[in-house]
Amino acid sequence: MKTKKMIKYCIDSMLESGADKAQCYINKKKRHELNVESGEINLFRTNFDTTVKLTAIVDDKKGIYSINKEDSDSIAKAVEEVIAIATTSKPDKANDISPEQPPQVFQSGSTNMDANIMYDRLEEFLEYAKAKYPDTIYEQLILAYDKNNKYFMNSNGVDLQSNKGIYGMTAMFTSKKGKKTSSFNYTGFRTQELEKPLQDYGYLDELLQQSSEQLHLKSFPGKIKGDIIITPHCLTEFISYIGHYLGDYYLITGNSIYKDSLNEQIADSQFTLHSRPRADEIDDKKFITGDGFVAQNNTVIKNGVLRSFLLSLYGANKTGHDRALNRSSRWVIEPGEKSYEDMIEEVENGILLCRFSGGRPNDNGDFSGVAKNSYYIKDGEIQYPLTETMIAGNLAELLKNIVNISRDGIDFGSSILPWIQFSDVVISGK
Amino acid sequence: MIKQDLKKYAKYFKNYTELRLQENRNIHISIVDGDIMGNSSSTSSGLSARVYQSGNWGFASNPVISSRTIKEAIASATKNAKFLQKKEESHQFQLSGNSAESDKDFTTQKKKKTKQELVDFMKTIDAHIDKKYSDISSHALILGLLDMEKNLLTADGSKAYSMVPRANIYAKFSLKKDGKPVELANVMGGFGQFEDNFGNLDEIYQKLAQLYESVKKKAEGVFARSGVFDVILDSKLAGILAHEAIGHTTEADIVRGGSIAGDNLGHKVASELVNLVDFAHHAGDDLCPVPVFVDDEGTKAEDAVLIKNGILKSFMHNKETAKLFDTKPTGNARAYKYSDEALIRMRNTAILPGVSKLDDMVSTIEDGYYLVQPSNGQADSTSEFMFGITEGYQIKNGKIGKAIKDTTISGVAFDMLNTVTMISDDMCWLNAGMCGKKQMIPVGMGGPAIKCKVNIGGK
Repeated sequence: MKTKKMIKYCIDSMLESGADKAQCYINKKKRHELNVESGEINLFRTNFDTTVKLTAIVDDKKGIYSINKEDSDSIAKAVEEVIAIATTSKPDKANDISPEQPPQVFQSGSTNMDANIMYDRLEEFLEYAKAKYPDTIYEQLILAYDKNNKYFMNSNGVDLQSNKGIYGMTAMFTSKKGKKTSSFNYTGFRTQELEKPLQDYGYLDELLQQSSEQLHLKSFPGKIKGDIIITPHCLTEFISYIGHYLGDYYLITGNSIYKDSLNEQIADSQFTLHSRPRADEIDDKKFITGDGFVAQNNTVIKNGVLRSFLLSLYGANKTGHDRALNRSSRWVIEPGEKSYEDMIEEVENGILLCRFSGGRPNDNGDFSGVAKNSYYIKDGEIQYPLTETMIAGNLAELLKNIVNISRDGIDFGSSILPWIQFSDVVISGK
Repeated sequence: MIKQDLKKYAKYFKNYTELRLQENRNIHISIVDGDIMGNSSSTSSGLSARVYQSGNWGFASNPVISSRTIKEAIASATKNAKFLQKKEESHQFQLSGNSAESDKDFTTQKKKKTKQELVDFMKTIDAHIDKKYSDISSHALILGLLDMEKNLLTADGSKAYSMVPRANIYAKFSLKKDGKPVELANVMGGFGQFEDNFGNLDEIYQKLAQLYESVKKKAEGVFARSGVFDVILDSKLAGILAHEAIGHTTEADIVRGGSIAGDNLGHKVASELVNLVDFAHHAGDDLCPVPVFVDDEGTKAEDAVLIKNGILKSFMHNKETAKLFDTKPTGNARAYKYSDEALIRMRNTAILPGVSKLDDMVSTIEDGYYLVQPSNGQADSTSEFMFGITEGYQIKNGKIGKAIKDTTISGVAFDMLNTVTMISDDMCWLNAGMCGKKQMIPVGMGGPAIKCKVNIGGK
């Protein structure tokens, strides 16, 4: 059965079986993956998979059932199953599906991969890295090509499709010389074409350089309230923390630190945060939201003012706020005016935070954790890499204590992020 | 469909080959403040073939299980291995290991609950919380069920079928204190299907009552002070320490990646009180939370004794690292989904009980902390670790004092374990753990309470 015909069959079957509203999402996935272990390319994987996700709403009660099969028998059983699940639920007026929108087909990236090009790029990188960073060991290095054909249709007439091909690399590495071992570090990037050496993407080369330096470590001297400069690589984690407080769970339960802050100043006026899944500058685009809308670029925080929560259709119906134009993590932070070097020069006593190993912030936004792969900064100069150094603060206060944002950023293919300098963070050595 | 005789496909194996059929079945029901926010099920099944040829691996998977797709996957995996063979220098060695057979089905013998009964069960608990704990500002309940069914055939003659289930209920309470939320969560259940875990509502209500008492105390809690303190790490923290901070450094692929454990084999890395084992399936007479009898490479799973009387004794291996380290594979090669290749993963990692009583341990501390509940944990190749702490208490003059607010502890495990001076004579398992290392996978973590020194983040 052709895919669209099968989706229509699923929706019609759910409606005939008692659903008031029905939706069907199908993702046909292909993945080709080269793996490096301990410096050698030693595994080539080829995976095919399909996700068929059915959603039915019966008398305001919602059920979801997912399978990875497309044959008629499996689909018929899945329809029966999703209706049974929905029937067991509790009525909730907030359950809904997206309204009719013009049909659209989106296309992005290469539709075909070349295993030889992938291999050659990976081999080129390994040769480069072995020569330049001989003490660095690659615990895991994966270069993958993912092809996704996504279809989203529902009983309101929504008919959206996206076809995407994207390359991606993840790298996890440690440096070791004699008995000295660095902390591991990791990074990744996404790109539509492998048109340049892998070390030139994202923040990979810089992190390998740092790893090779991080064999001789010292703890931060004493305990202070000082400045931290968070690198683009590490910033992703802190942005995800903000996203939690703006999402469904925290806003529905009323536990979000930002529940009453829409259109209020929640960050320094230098700070503007966009989510741009369809922007030209984002290689790893996202076209369809999880609840069946065409994803649109969105400014979440503008000049420090909270402009949008990150609510799903359900979350919006539940809280009375607007649905987010997208809930992807394609973050773009507006650049500032200072160079990275000038920012370092401005720090009297603090750290360059390159990785944060911390507990998730609690309901009040308090966080604490270990500054990993990070550096001590004193009198405007980087002194040495750190070990056993902890930081503590509050996320809401942190956003208000932005001192500088760098004018340059790092393009990870799925986000573009700068260095940000924050003040008044508790930093303590052992 | 998963349980079928795979021997007829052995004739298509041209090299060392693993053929695995697998189905994962999940049920997820979440209730937040009385509303069912999630009610979903999923089934994901398929087959994979992994082929080893001249030091290179080829892997291929397909969601459709049939004679045709099995043959195609074996051919595709072979082609992938050949692709690398043409480009990479070959090792030309045989993998370590002997064949093993196993057939373990842990499907409940009780009558299976219907979906309606599962939802009604969760609604009953939700109604109990609503009625009993009126000052709770928000509460969430999540039921998570996972059945993992696998069938394996390898070219060296291993045959293994398993159906290993897990069932957990996660409960989270939030209170408002001075207008700000204070939260605490707990997890119940573990190995086995729903019917074998949750027969008795009273047991669940008792655990919810404990959670309520704990969150009330936490609402009156104080900030922990920062610095190095004498602490008692309760069993859940000892388990996560065993897994994150020590266990990962002793996975042979991580050792090859440069972990600090590689330099310490045969050396003292902990107090002589410390014994640490990654159990395959039983700890003593008791079945472990994640029993593995034959791993996903077809190796008979055996306990890996990692630390004995404070000495680092061995690492966890798959067939390939065992060959490289000139030792036997330990049965630690595991895959989460049908489309995942087996990686070296822990199974049930625990610090073994000692001889002390918890009360006696507390009484020896003048000024320190009793740390009970972890949120998340991370560690790296140096054994430096960080754990979030969501439940803990002051210890003053040998007695448990006020609760503390959320904090973080950190240290270098191989240093910290040398400060262990007492270990309790009991232990418990953390039965809901998922470990992330390329793929997520269920793991068991366990331990007794241990007295040691640790760095507290404080404020």
